[in-house]
Amino acid sequence: MGILSLLILLPLVVGAVMLLVPGKWASSFKYLALGTAAAQVVLSLFAYAGFNEKVAGTGVNGYQFVEQASWIRLDLGAAGRLSIDYFIGVDGISILFLVLSAIVFFVAALASWEITKNLKGYFVLFMLLDAAIFGVFTALDFFLFYLFYELMLLPVYFLIGMWGGVRREYAAIKFFLYTLFGSVFMLLVILGLYFSVQDPVTGDHTFNMLHAMDPANYTAGSLFSPGSGQLLFGIPARLLAFIVVFIAFAIKVPVVPLHTWLPDAHVEAPTPVSIILAGLLLKVGGYGIIRVAYSIFPEAALQSSWWVGLIGVVSILYGALNALAQRDLKRLIAYSSVSHMGFVLLGIASVTVEGISGAILQMISHGILSVMLFFLAGVLYTRVHDREIANFRGLSLILPRYTAFVLIAFFASLGLPGFSAFIGEAFSLIGAFKSASENALLPRWMAVCGSVGILLSAAYFLWTLQRMFFGQTRLMGGDAWRDRLTDLDLRERSALVPLAALAIVLGIFPHLAFDKLNASVLNLVNHLIP
Amino acid sequence: MESLAEIFRNPAVLALIAAGLPLLTFLELTLFGKRATGTAAALSYSWLSFLVAVYVFFSVWNTGDIHYQVNWFTIGSVSFKAGMLLNNLSVLMQLLVSLIALLVHCYSAAYMKNDPNLRRYWAYLGLFCFAMMTLVIADNLLLVYFAWELVGVSSYLLIGFWTTREAAAQAAKKAFIVNRIGDIGFLTAILILYTQFHTLDLDHLFGGRHLFAGSVITGGQWITSVGQLPAVWLTVAGAGLLLGAMAKSAQFPLHIWLPDAMEGPTPVSSLIHAATMVAAGVFLLVRVFPVFTPVVLEAMAVIGGLTAFFAATCALVQYDLKRILAWSTVSQLGLMILAVGTGARAQAIFHLATHAFFKCLLFLCAGAVIHAVQHQIHQDGGDRDPQDIRNMGGLLKKMPVTGAWMILAAAALTGLPLTSGFFSKDGILIAVFAWSANGSSLGLLLPFLAFTSSLMTAFYSARLIFSVFFGEEQVSAAGVRDPEPLMRWPMIVLGLCTLYPVFLGLLPAGASWVLDVTEKAGVADHPDLYWIPYALTIANVLVIAAAWQLYVKRRAHAAPALRPAGLFLLEGWRLNAVYHSLVISPVMQLSRVTVFVDRVVLDGFVHFAAASGLVAARLSGWFDRVVIDGLVEFTATGSRSIGNFARKFQSGRIQHYLIFALGALLLCLILSYFT
Repeated sequence: MGILSLLILLPLVVGAVMLLVPGKWASSFKYLALGTAAAQVVLSLFAYAGFNEKVAGTGVNGYQFVEQASWIRLDLGAAGRLSIDYFIGVDGISILFLVLSAIVFFVAALASWEITKNLKGYFVLFMLLDAAIFGVFTALDFFLFYLFYELMLLPVYFLIGMWGGVRREYAAIKFFLYTLFGSVFMLLVILGLYFSVQDPVTGDHTFNMLHAMDPANYTAGSLFSPGSGQLLFGIPARLLAFIVVFIAFAIKVPVVPLHTWLPDAHVEAPTPVSIILAGLLLKVGGYGIIRVAYSIFPEAALQSSWWVGLIGVVSILYGALNALAQRDLKRLIAYSSVSHMGFVLLGIASVTVEGISGAILQMISHGILSVMLFFLAGVLYTRVHDREIANFRGLSLILPRYTAFVLIAFFASLGLPGFSAFIGEAFSLIGAFKSASENALLPRWMAVCGSVGILLSAAYFLWTLQRMFFGQTRLMGGDAWRDRLTDLDLRERSALVPLAALAIVLGIFPHLAFDKLNASVLNLVNHLIP
Repeated sequence: MESLAEIFRNPAVLALIAAGLPLLTFLELTLFGKRATGTAAALSYSWLSFLVAVYVFFSVWNTGDIHYQVNWFTIGSVSFKAGMLLNNLSVLMQLLVSLIALLVHCYSAAYMKNDPNLRRYWAYLGLFCFAMMTLVIADNLLLVYFAWELVGVSSYLLIGFWTTREAAAQAAKKAFIVNRIGDIGFLTAILILYTQFHTLDLDHLFGGRHLFAGSVITGGQWITSVGQLPAVWLTVAGAGLLLGAMAKSAQFPLHIWLPDAMEGPTPVSSLIHAATMVAAGVFLLVRVFPVFTPVVLEAMAVIGGLTAFFAATCALVQYDLKRILAWSTVSQLGLMILAVGTGARAQAIFHLATHAFFKCLLFLCAGAVIHAVQHQIHQDGGDRDPQDIRNMGGLLKKMPVTGAWMILAAAALTGLPLTSGFFSKDGILIAVFAWSANGSSLGLLLPFLAFTSSLMTAFYSARLIFSVFFGEEQVSAAGVRDPEPLMRWPMIVLGLCTLYPVFLGLLPAGASWVLDVTEKAGVADHPDLYWIPYALTIANVLVIAAAWQLYVKRRAHAAPALRPAGLFLLEGWRLNAVYHSLVISPVMQLSRVTVFVDRVVLDGFVHFAAASGLVAARLSGWFDRVVIDGLVEFTATGSRSIGNFARKFQSGRIQHYLIFALGALLLCLILSYFT
């Protein structure tokens, strides 16, 4: 069994074990979850170290640790043979997301200490989610991808709906419906692709994503064949398919105006679920846009890039303005996510090496930093069950360590050079600006407008710092709160220190990410603009 | 393969070490241990850093550029390198920064010794010195931007050092956010230059490879060896860099953060907000000078001239000792920017260097005065403001050393003969007059602004000195005395550096070795304009005499209320209010609009969709229940009724069956009869 299968199966097995052992042992499940996540960190680092960035190739040759096994074969008579593969592998892009996923789950497991009720159910769902996310980032067969993709949805729904805050059911339903709305239509596109793409060896229809990326594998005259120019509802079929798939992933990212599930989901979700949501689920959106929407429908993507870029810029500014007006710390962080993910879209839309590399680094960086931010918000909430910014003042006096980490997380998030977010944002913007000269996809003003986002992010983060942490200590809950507001303990620090270190390391040595990325991103850009 | 010894003999590596030593202070004090105050570590690293910088200076000065770089990262196929670019400008700046940093460190060791958070103070100061010294030697714009922002953060941390003070927290936030406006300009310039040249290496752009000089503008297009853009973007790039410099060097209208930044500890004001960080903007402009088009240069000159004038008017009426100096700094930086705008880069750097010393000294003296007065007020149990010059007076007798050195520094600021300021400021004035005489569309506007702001400088400097050190004591000053030696000797060293001989060169009058900073001894001399120093000196003396009349003889501060014009100046032309109504309120308004859109419009749509779904579900439920179930039930009840009806016939009695049979027979007969 390959290392990728191991990464996916490990949490499934652990989850099954949890399901089978008696509920009275559930109090030790958190250690089991933490151990599993730690093992995944080690495994993913092995994969990262073992990933040879010098091997560059197109098609399946661009992927490493590939495992392919036939899974479902069904003879449908005249309609051909249904073939679904267990087909996984990673390129320079997904290998980074694997490491990120492992780290985020490790931190989420540490944050799960705050969960007190129905531990068995919680940790089983947690493990299921873990497996699904590793599956999404490695799957190369569309059917498998979709399976994992939908499998993510289910645990998140229950994790928010059962372990969340006061309005948890509203938030869970909202999240579920938004995401389902996107993915149902995507399923239709997947089926359409299946009937359009043929395996070049066997001649069967296939769900193989890599085959779908190669125009040569399309049956002439089929619905999604690049040459056939078929229309659906008066729109070219491939353009429509791109839009549908893009919307499905854009809801996950999320982009304005499909983002309103995010603040509610974050505010109601328990800390570990917020962490996974911001750290990984949003990244699935960005990853999907690159891997599926852009790679499979390149010409439709180029045609739409102006709009994608615009959505990016709007998200950056709109998210930041919204964050400026929030009164709840977690909502503020949620809107800052919308703003920061806007850079991802802008970078991808530029279809330049700088832009796409920047976008991916921005996702990794946001994965690290949003996890840190939500973890920090959770620290405050578990102590006093309040997150209203105006209810705290002068926290730096009573929580010096906590303040230090908040300072790091805030400054890193506002794009301070030396932290990973700066490299991500700067190169997304460089790509967006360069695009006009290189491929004429995005106008230059988009990059300039996008850079205003870094001003607004400084404004909302520093304003929050000033209001909550500086000045004389004054708490809404008075002395009762002051007693409960103890500084970070060992568990919390061991979650925060690696995140802070990672943000700095990637900010100063971005080659740790770029070296893995370069070949794949160059391939991707050549694929999109031959 | 270079041996280790060779690497360490490389001045570029040594310059990096000089910059890196203060970072050790930061790392050591933040990451390890909790006990010691860190004073020993901070001072020793600062000393070492200074000594290395001295060595680097003497091994590089006038020997030509040294460029040393290593691979940093590769993105796609473009490799980014990081390294050090040493030339006269950068080693001079590094020496200046490390010397002033060292002096301020020593001063702080006494000034801050009772602060409970001293450790944090040293750490932040170390971070600042690292950032500033990296900024001046960085060899590419990305690295410069790194250091540029890091300087901003350390400034943020130090302005807000006394975290419990609300005003300090506000001022820190303001400083960072205003600087971010400039950063957007800087970043935009980086985007443009990278797109055009595929590199951000300063040496490649402006030095050895002449990439920049090789670019041409033809037919409205700006063409380089690897790129092409509409020519307007060249102007935008220059304007972006100018915007960056305006924010960092506190130029109108982005100067508003600097007076507020005085909330930080006084040694910090001295090092960061007078001598070094605020000069980074001027330094940047000189370093990337070829980028600027004539339009941008003219704008730069106008902004610099306006700032010099405007800030000087504000300094005239301030009462807060530190605020007078802050406005004065803004004004002097304006002069430097004006000089760069007129092309007089060497004079700008010369003034930057001399200003660093005398302004730093002014702040250190001010710190000593405030320290002493505060102590006195504390003892007397009053609640007077220890920074208000109206509460001072006649302190020269009590603090003769501080007084003497502050008078010396003020003389340098005014530009009196024999002080360094005399030559550096007159150098700028001569350059501005010469530039204007060469035909400028602005006529004599800029020379006028520069000349009048110099006169105002003389006035506010004199007003400050006379109010603080002369006349009658305003509060009992029994306990006021000169500071302890650790604070005193940095002042003395700085005082010596405000004398002209330090900057004297072997060249003809009006020249200084510092002028070698851009081109070797190539600064144009204008003997025909030598009347300017004479005229200015005479005018200055008259102005000082007038100030003596006003502030020593009459104590004009005692006037009950300032006239409206004075208040207007006191509040810095009320620009804060303008910003509030033109920028901050609209942005907050806009952010509330976006919240409305989110909560009402977008969520409204989602809720509407959800509600419509529910209505549709109810409708189909109703349809199910009433129509479909109705039909089903109708069928069921119908058949049941029929069944029930039919069951009645199954009575089991033979008589009934016979009657039915008979009836049926009859019915058949009747039917057949009629058909």
